[in-house]
Amino acid sequence: MGTFSNQVIINNDIKGVKTYVMPTRAKDVITISGSILGGSIHCADKNSKLAALVATMLDKGTVKKDKYEISETLESVGAELNFSSTRYHTHFTGFCLNNDLDTLLSLLAEQLMTPSFSNDELSTLKSRICGNLERDKEDTKKIAMTHFLRRLFPKHHPNYRDTIDESINLVNKITTKDLFAFHKQRYGRGSIKIAAAGDINPEEFNELIIGPLGAWEKKETIIPPIKEKAKDPKESNETINVPDKTSSDLYIGQSIGIDSEHKDYYALMLGVYILGGNFSARLMQTVRDKQGLTYGIGSSISGVSFGADGYWSIWGTFAPDILKKGIKATKEQIDLWFKKGVTGDELSAKKTTINGSYKVSLDSTAGLAGKILSNAEHGRNISYLDKYPKIIENISLSEVNNAIKKYINPNKLYMVSAGTP
Amino acid sequence: MCPKNKNNFTGYDFVKKSAGIEEYTLVKNSLRVLVLEDHSAPVATFMVTYHVGSRNEAIGYTGSTHLLEHLMFKGSRNFNKEKNTAIWTELQNIGAQINATTWNDRTNYFEVVPSEHLERAIAIEADRMRHAFLKDEDRQPEMTVVRNEFERGENSPFDVLDKNIWATAYQAHPYHHSTIGWRSDIENISTERLKIFYDTYYWPNNATVTVIGDFNKEQALASINKYFSEHSKSINPIPPVYTDEPAQEGPRRITVKRTGQTGIVGVAHKSPQGLHEDTYALQLLGKILADGKTSRLNKLIIDKGLATSIFMYDFPFLDNGLFITYVFLTPGTDHKKIEKTIIKEYNNIIENGVSQEELRRAQAQIRAMVAFSRDGTYAVASALNEAIAIGDWTFYTNFMENINNVTAEEIKEIAKKYLTEDQSTTGWFIAKEPKA
Repeated sequence: MGTFSNQVIINNDIKGVKTYVMPTRAKDVITISGSILGGSIHCADKNSKLAALVATMLDKGTVKKDKYEISETLESVGAELNFSSTRYHTHFTGFCLNNDLDTLLSLLAEQLMTPSFSNDELSTLKSRICGNLERDKEDTKKIAMTHFLRRLFPKHHPNYRDTIDESINLVNKITTKDLFAFHKQRYGRGSIKIAAAGDINPEEFNELIIGPLGAWEKKETIIPPIKEKAKDPKESNETINVPDKTSSDLYIGQSIGIDSEHKDYYALMLGVYILGGNFSARLMQTVRDKQGLTYGIGSSISGVSFGADGYWSIWGTFAPDILKKGIKATKEQIDLWFKKGVTGDELSAKKTTINGSYKVSLDSTAGLAGKILSNAEHGRNISYLDKYPKIIENISLSEVNNAIKKYINPNKLYMVSAGTP
Repeated sequence: MCPKNKNNFTGYDFVKKSAGIEEYTLVKNSLRVLVLEDHSAPVATFMVTYHVGSRNEAIGYTGSTHLLEHLMFKGSRNFNKEKNTAIWTELQNIGAQINATTWNDRTNYFEVVPSEHLERAIAIEADRMRHAFLKDEDRQPEMTVVRNEFERGENSPFDVLDKNIWATAYQAHPYHHSTIGWRSDIENISTERLKIFYDTYYWPNNATVTVIGDFNKEQALASINKYFSEHSKSINPIPPVYTDEPAQEGPRRITVKRTGQTGIVGVAHKSPQGLHEDTYALQLLGKILADGKTSRLNKLIIDKGLATSIFMYDFPFLDNGLFITYVFLTPGTDHKKIEKTIIKEYNNIIENGVSQEELRRAQAQIRAMVAFSRDGTYAVASALNEAIAIGDWTFYTNFMENINNVTAEEIKEIAKKYLTEDQSTTGWFIAKEPKA
């Protein structure tokens, strides 16, 4: 038994709501972090922006309260309640002092269950979202990343991204009728998971949250299967011109064909971490620290959750006049990493890093609640959080180097930069 | 406060205690030490705050505090690549969160470590306090790294507008330039000049170390004594910044035009020194104006679809600062309309004040913010770091009490005192169409 198995009180299914409560020695404060299966993948065939708008509209008024009454209720006790949407989930995060938990949870239930979705609020929200999207046209990182993912994945893959203009077009099409329909279809008991950490009594928490949510209608609780796989990797380069920029963003990488449940995932993840997972990894030590070509460069595996075949990428920034030099230096590191693999010392050091970081991430109630929720969303037993360091520790050097050889192909890299050439 | 000498530890003078945080002075060299035991998680944060920031720079060496901060990771006597004990490797290999930041009034270096590794963090910080290498062969590649950090900032219309507003509002005082510095200074500052900077400011009597978290106080203080006591006090007194900003005698304006998509409006007014008694009322005024959906400007601007977001910049600094409302416009929104709306609302508060309900709500928001600033060892150290920077760490521990003592009438008075046209600097970012 470890930290999480000992300390997290789990109610696996009270009326279709799963709760994970971890009392800590934090004084006065409570963080809650929860989700419902209401992300964009559940509306991808209609309008992929619908899920995000539904989530954002949850704090714009309920049947009983307008948005000001909601805000006044929260702000009068200094609490916060935020809703957001990802590919798979609608997430909600709350912060409050322990005396105000009742206020926070009853408001959470009301906002989740009975949003008003007014026409005026939707119109204002659409104007704000489109304004932010227009601003994204100046963001070299977002532009490069969007091109990168569109090149690697087909349109109906979870890792695909719409262009900014496509997004604006989709947002503008959404009506309140669409919001109500999506809410009715996806929101309900069944897929709700809530983690809470801090100065909290688990029994009290469960009573407060189950009371209002227990009467809610039950809804479908599965993530739809992914129908399309990533495109086959092939070598290509692209440069996107964004005027008046003093720094360019570069993405290099390819699809890997596996998800986070695959037996090779952790070995590949460790190999990529050694290449570019933190400051003491190879890319930062060479391209930044030794050659001074960039402020930041790193490498990671992404888009591998919930059965999606993900991708490996390197992201870095370079002044336009040294971009070519930066690309050359980065490719040299990729070649070296691929041809010679990683060393036993590097693997040993990074295992300690990952396991130490894991301990450090327990530092706050927000860190704890987020980690517990993510684990639950992936359908893993709470003991997985205690076993994780051991899983990492057991990966061998040959497994890491074999995974690099198996999943990375330096001759089929896609590369895109955005900036002022 | 507790009486002096309540806690006796070898080599230290006990100074004071507030909200559980104890202050000691290392007798050998006047290093200030703050400690707070908190056993919530098996983690400790160690932070060194040097009382030097970009306010200690001048023309020709702007950005040098920040560039020096970068060079401080390049190696020191006991922690370096040659010995296979490089700082990043030593700390990241144990899973530590490690970094450093530079701002107007301070430079801080910190490590969040699994508790059993606290001593390693202490040893590294003590070593580089006086034994950093600062080699020219390291400065040259690091200069281009920092230049890319500058270039990344220049990509952002907000960063560019903010730099221009400060440079217009402050003409003599070094808050005129941003912490990253001017590009030509970043490129041309010599290693010798950086060494002078290091030898002027990096001394135990110009630093505060903070240790928060899961440790034994006696052992932690003994480790700090063991490693930091090898240093003497500075040979020369730490030079003060004596440049006062001349009185502003009328409103100022700045416009930045660049290729882009949407506009930004920033309306700034001179604000008092961070430790001034008016700071608390100004913090509450900032909340009432722009924090949360019920805030006044949110209702007047965001709810009407005129902007995507509002950001209130009202950080307390060691010297006078700026109280700035930034509004990020939606496409088609007129800059002038937003500027007028902001000023009109300022005048409304000057004339009619704020309601008790607004005050109560703003105080509640700050109460929760303060409670969450104690959630985690790094959160505490980080909040303390900013209080240390403005000259009194108890600013952090007494903050809530001072906020609770503010009245609605005081908010009206400070609005009248500070939000005057003659003390204003207004900035517009205007997005130009891209060239065909």
